Amino acid sequence: MTQAAKGDGERAVANGDDPRGRACSDKPSSPRDPARRTLLGAVAVGLGGATFFGPWKTNHVWAQAAQKKPLVIGLTMDASGQYAASGGEERLGAMMAIKEFNDKGGVLGRRIETLHMDTETTPATGSRVAERMITRNEAAFLIGGLHSGVANAISQVAQKYGCVYFNTNSSSPTESGKDCHRVKFVWDGNGTNFAEAIVKNAIKSSGKNWILLTNDYVWGHNTSKATRTLVEANGGKIVDELMIPQNTRDFSSYLIKLQQIKPEVVAAAVGGDDIKALRQQVVQLGLQKRMAWINNQQDWPDVYGLGPEQIFGVFGTNWYWMLDLPGVKEFVATYQKVYPGMAIQVPGNVYYNGYVATRELLRCVEEAGTTANIAVIKKLEGRKMSARDRMQTYDAWIDAATHQCQQTIYMATYNDQPKVKDDIFKILTQSEPKDVMDADAPKACKLETYEATPTYET
Amino acid sequence: MSLVPHLVNGVALGLLFALIALGFMLIVSVMETINLAHGSFFALGMYIALVVMSPGDGASALLSEYRSLTVGWRYAIALIVAPAIVGGFGMLLEVALRRTYGRDALYGLLLTFGAALVIEEGIRAVFGSTEKQLPLPDAVSGAFMLGDLVYSKYRLFACVFAAVAIALLWLFLQKTPYGSIIKAGAHDSEMVRALGINLARLRLFVFALGVGLAAIAGIVMSPIWGIRPHVGVDAVVPAFLIIVLGGVGSFWGAVLAALLVGLFVGLSGAYASEWSLLSMYLLFIAVVTFRSRGLFGKKSVLDV
Repeated sequence: MTQAAKGDGERAVANGDDPRGRACSDKPSSPRDPARRTLLGAVAVGLGGATFFGPWKTNHVWAQAAQKKPLVIGLTMDASGQYAASGGEERLGAMMAIKEFNDKGGVLGRRIETLHMDTETTPATGSRVAERMITRNEAAFLIGGLHSGVANAISQVAQKYGCVYFNTNSSSPTESGKDCHRVKFVWDGNGTNFAEAIVKNAIKSSGKNWILLTNDYVWGHNTSKATRTLVEANGGKIVDELMIPQNTRDFSSYLIKLQQIKPEVVAAAVGGDDIKALRQQVVQLGLQKRMAWINNQQDWPDVYGLGPEQIFGVFGTNWYWMLDLPGVKEFVATYQKVYPGMAIQVPGNVYYNGYVATRELLRCVEEAGTTANIAVIKKLEGRKMSARDRMQTYDAWIDAATHQCQQTIYMATYNDQPKVKDDIFKILTQSEPKDVMDADAPKACKLETYEATPTYET
Repeated sequence: MSLVPHLVNGVALGLLFALIALGFMLIVSVMETINLAHGSFFALGMYIALVVMSPGDGASALLSEYRSLTVGWRYAIALIVAPAIVGGFGMLLEVALRRTYGRDALYGLLLTFGAALVIEEGIRAVFGSTEKQLPLPDAVSGAFMLGDLVYSKYRLFACVFAAVAIALLWLFLQKTPYGSIIKAGAHDSEMVRALGINLARLRLFVFALGVGLAAIAGIVMSPIWGIRPHVGVDAVVPAFLIIVLGGVGSFWGAVLAALLVGLFVGLSGAYASEWSLLSMYLLFIAVVTFRSRGLFGKKSVLDV
C-alpha cells in the first residue's frame, strides 16, 4: 500500500517546522494579486504584441521572474515500495539543506519551495513524476533516487527537457556509466567503488570460493558484475549467483542452497526491505557464523533498529554519524534539533547524501547567479569539495567525465563496543577516492554534448 | 544437490501461505466480500503484538509484574490479545461495510481498500516507518541440525502452528453449531435469517474472526518477514491468489493451493531463483486458464 500522498503532489516551503512538508497551492500568487492583475491587464491590452514578446512560455518566465517566483525543487523520493524507508530519510536530508538556504533568504533572492511525489520504487512512476514536475509544476531541479531503475527513468525524462537531476542515493555503476546523462549527477558511491574497497582483502581473509546474492534489477546486476570481475581478477572463484527478485520475503530456499553449496564468502547486493528480511532469516539459521558475509552497501535505514546479531558481516557506506571528523557532531545535533522525535534518531548515509547533494546544488546556483541548466552544470562538473566541508576523511570531487561524486568509501562491521546508543558500526577501513574509482565508467559513459542538451530555466 | 530439503521447505512455505490466507478465505466464503484490508490487519496484528510483548516503560506495579513474565508467556498472551483487538477493529470495518451489502461489489472493494490505506498510514503515524522486531521465546529461537543442513526452530514452530490452526478452523466449521451457522450463512443467508438467526451478528462475528486470523498470521510471520507498516502488501497478494487458485469458498481448495504455491516458490527459488516470485503467478495463470473456478471451485464451505 502507499502513503496518502501517493501519486499526488505535495508542495511545501522548506522551513523546518514540518519535516513532511506543508501543503499549499501550486500557484505562487492568486488572481487577486495586484501585480498579477496589472500584468494580466497589460497582456490583455497588448494582445497584438504577443508575437513581439515571443512564445507564451517566455512571457510566463518573464512575468514570474518579476515577482521573484519561488524556486521549485522537485523531490523524487520513494515513499512506498522496497525503498520507502530510505526515501523518507533522503527527503529529510534535502529538506534540511533547503531550510538552511531559506533561513538565509533563499537562493538568488528566491524562496525555495519543494514539491514531493512518491516514485513508488517503480521506474514507470519515476518517469511519470519527472514529466509532471517538469511540464506542469515547473520544477527548476529534480533531486532524489534510491532505486537505480527509477533514477535511470527520471534522468531520461530530465535529459529530454534539460532539467538538472541529482541521483542522491542509487548506486548502480551504470548510473555514471552507460546510463549517464549531461543533466544527471550521481552522489553516492557505486557498486564498483564498494567492491574495489573490499574484495581484495576479503579474498585474503575469508577465502576464494564466493557466491553472489543478487537483487534482480539493475543495481544488483551491475554491482554483482563488478564484484565478479574483481573476485576473478584477484584469483577467486564465483561458484554460483542466485538472483533474488525484488520484494522477496522468504529466503529459505536460497539459504538451504547456500548450505548445500558451502561457499566461503557470500557477497550480497541486496537492498531495502529485502536485505532486512534476509538478515533476519540468516540469523535464525546461524549462517552468519558458518560463512563470511559481505553486503556491498548497507543503507542506514535498512539496518537501524535491527538487533546486534543481525548486523553481521562486512558492509560498505560513505558516511557514519560517529566519524571522528570536524562538523559531524554539529550535523547530528542539527538533525536531532530540527527533526525531534524521529524513529531514526541519528542521521545515516542516505540522509547525508540527500543533504550534501542538495546543499551543493544550491551553492552552484548561487555561484552561477542563475538557474539556467548549462551554467549550473558547468559549475558542478569537476567541482572539488573539501573533506572538512563534506565531513568525510578525504577530499571529494565530481568527475567531469561521468558526473559521479568521487569520495571516501568506508568498510564497516557491527560495533560490539558501542560508546553510545546507535553506535552500531565499527569502521574498518577508509579508502581514498582515487583507489576505488570505477575505471570502466568513463569508457561506458557518453555524456550528451551541451548543444544536444535543451536549455532549461525556470 | 539434494531435492528433498527443497520439497520439505516448499511444504513448510505452503503451510505458512495457508495460514496467511485462512482469514481471507473465511470472509470471502461467508460474506462474499473481498477484504483488501486483510494485509493491513495482518500488519496491525504484528504491531499490537509488539506492544503487548514490550509494553513500554510505565512504572505501575501491574506493568512491572507483567514485564517480569518470560518472553514465552508474553508471546502466548500476544497471540490471544492482539487478534482480539484487531478483531475489534475488524468489527468496526464490518459495520462500515453494511451499507455496501447488496450493492455493486466495487463499493466493498473500495471501502476495504480505503481502510487498508488508513490502517497503514495509522501504523506509520503511531509506530514510524522503521523496522521493528518481535522478541522471541528461547524455546523457538535458533536453529537445529537435520542431516547436514541447518533449519530454523522458529520456522518449524510456525509450520506446526499453521497446521494446527488449519485443523482447528476446520473442526470449528465442521463440528460446532457455530460452524454450521456460518456455513449455512455462506450457502443461503436468507434462509438463515428466516430461521431466526441474527444475520448481522453472524457477519460481524465472521468478519472479526477473519481479521483475527489475519492478525494471528501476522504475529506468526513477523520473525520471518520482519515488521514494517507496508508488510501487509506482501500478505494480501498471495492470500488473494491462493483463494482464487483453490476455488472461492473451498476450505481444502485454499489449503491445497497454498501448498502448491509454497512448493512452486520453494523449488523455483532453489533451481531458477529469478523465477521464484513469478512462479506463483505462472501457476495461477496455468490453472485458471483451464479451470476458471480454481481447483475446487464448485465446492463451498458447506462441502468441507
